[in-house]
Amino acid sequence: MVEIKNLSKYYGRNLAVKGISFDIQDHEILGFLGPNGAGKSTTMNMIAGYLPSSNGTVTINGFDITEQASEAKKCIGYLPEIPPVYPDMRVEEYLLFVAGLKGVPRAERKKQVQSSMQRLHIEDMHRRLIRNLSKGYKQRVGFAQALLGDPKILILDEPTVGLDPTQVMEVRNLILELKQDHSIIFSSHILAEVSAVCERVVIINKGEIIAIDTIDNLERNLTADTVLHLTAEGDKDKISRLLKDIQGVSSVSDIKELGENRCSYQIELKNESVRNEIISVLLNNQCSIVEMHLAQLNLEQVFLKLIQEKKKSSLEQLIDETKQDNPYHQED
Amino acid sequence: MFSLYKKEMQSYFFSPFAYVLIALFMLIFSFAFVTSIASIDSNVLKFSFPGIFYDNFFFFIFIIPILTMRSFADERRGNTEVLLLTSPLSVGKIVMAKFLAVLTVFAIMMLATLFFPIYICCIGKIMWSSLICAYLGFFLWGMVCIAIGMLLSSLTGNAIISAILGEIIMEGTLLVDQIGGSALVNAYPYLNSAISWISMQRRFVYFSQGMFRLEDLIFFLSATAVVICWNIIAIEKRRWSHS
Repeated sequence: MVEIKNLSKYYGRNLAVKGISFDIQDHEILGFLGPNGAGKSTTMNMIAGYLPSSNGTVTINGFDITEQASEAKKCIGYLPEIPPVYPDMRVEEYLLFVAGLKGVPRAERKKQVQSSMQRLHIEDMHRRLIRNLSKGYKQRVGFAQALLGDPKILILDEPTVGLDPTQVMEVRNLILELKQDHSIIFSSHILAEVSAVCERVVIINKGEIIAIDTIDNLERNLTADTVLHLTAEGDKDKISRLLKDIQGVSSVSDIKELGENRCSYQIELKNESVRNEIISVLLNNQCSIVEMHLAQLNLEQVFLKLIQEKKKSSLEQLIDETKQDNPYHQED
Repeated sequence: MFSLYKKEMQSYFFSPFAYVLIALFMLIFSFAFVTSIASIDSNVLKFSFPGIFYDNFFFFIFIIPILTMRSFADERRGNTEVLLLTSPLSVGKIVMAKFLAVLTVFAIMMLATLFFPIYICCIGKIMWSSLICAYLGFFLWGMVCIAIGMLLSSLTGNAIISAILGEIIMEGTLLVDQIGGSALVNAYPYLNSAISWISMQRRFVYFSQGMFRLEDLIFFLSATAVVICWNIIAIEKRRWSHS
């Protein structure tokens, strides 16, 4: 298990990561999401022990990453953003070296290297010089390296970058397979990937956590859960008027014509309980309902919404601060 | 730690790098050897191996920064530093493994030049005490230079710049002796004694005369230790202030 408490990182005077805290349970895949420059890689580097934190602690299986670095690092397999491979080495030779570096006993090295090469489907490449491999293969060699030493925790910084769609699927399946005996932190800016693999996500922006939750919860909570999508057959204006007359409906918008006599509507409700009333009103007026569902945002929309909300609130904060700083400021 | 040492050795010997440098070292030594024999006085058939080292320090030391320039700079450039620093090895062990690998290559270079004394031994007489001490002295001097070269490679992060800076600093250590001998410095006895204390060339003179002084051994070992510690601190410092 990994515990991150109040982790901060200063680059000179610039605060890149601002006191973030979260944990990763055993056998869990945690997604780490954020736009470019949000502090994802810095945080991952701190968890892996490459960069020391300016403040806060990272505890890995009970070992502090700075105090008991060696024990903590033995529990970690790390794949950084750029795979750390030596171009002049052959694939198998490189993996044997990393196994030795991680303190795998000599007798087990060959076996572990073979099994990690099998998992990443790079056995055919074992004699090839790394410099001659394609980007995708280099990435897989980097991934294979992270699995050596059988670490309990895997930190994967954008592991599918540079892979073709089939390889992406393979890596996703591998991550799901690895979940059985590892805890995984997985960063990406491809949201579809995160929602396909992770149960829980941490969304980070400008060094701050803006949400930690399961994907389902995030999608549900942030959905304007009072927005209803309706497709119905009947006169557009009549339906629109009928809907607006129902108490509990605040607005009807985004009316699209889908075909002969069929339109879709977006209805904002004050509460969900008016759904039945909508159905009965429409049916009583000889309008047939084709489809009706509560609108739900996907992870991509959730992500954008969270980031936009954050931007808006920081802008408001800035305006407030400016007003306070300027006593001569007059409200218009 | 042994894995890293082995990998470093492979990176030197599985490429032409070490062979070219060893060949260059042998070439310089052979030239010096031939010129020493050619300049022997006709009636006294005598020349000194320590003298070869002493006269050609300028060229020998030239090779060391080239040997050390890649040690940390390549790791930084290729992003493989992350792999080493996130492994269970401590920074101290990483630096030591790399240092020992370069030192081994240097030792192999020196062993290659033993061909000449052994050849002389077959056809003439050799003063073994002086020869062994000269080799030991040169090895110790090389050890300090390797530590300095590695520090520069780690500080600059660029192989070419570290090699150029290394050449300047190492030739500078030779200049210390010249400065020590100047009239200006001789006028101040304290300054003179301070300079002669840090001059590695003067310490080598004792070795070349077949004198093994504990003081010199401690000087070279402690200078190496200080530079290695500096390197460890430099790497740690860079991690802390990484940007």
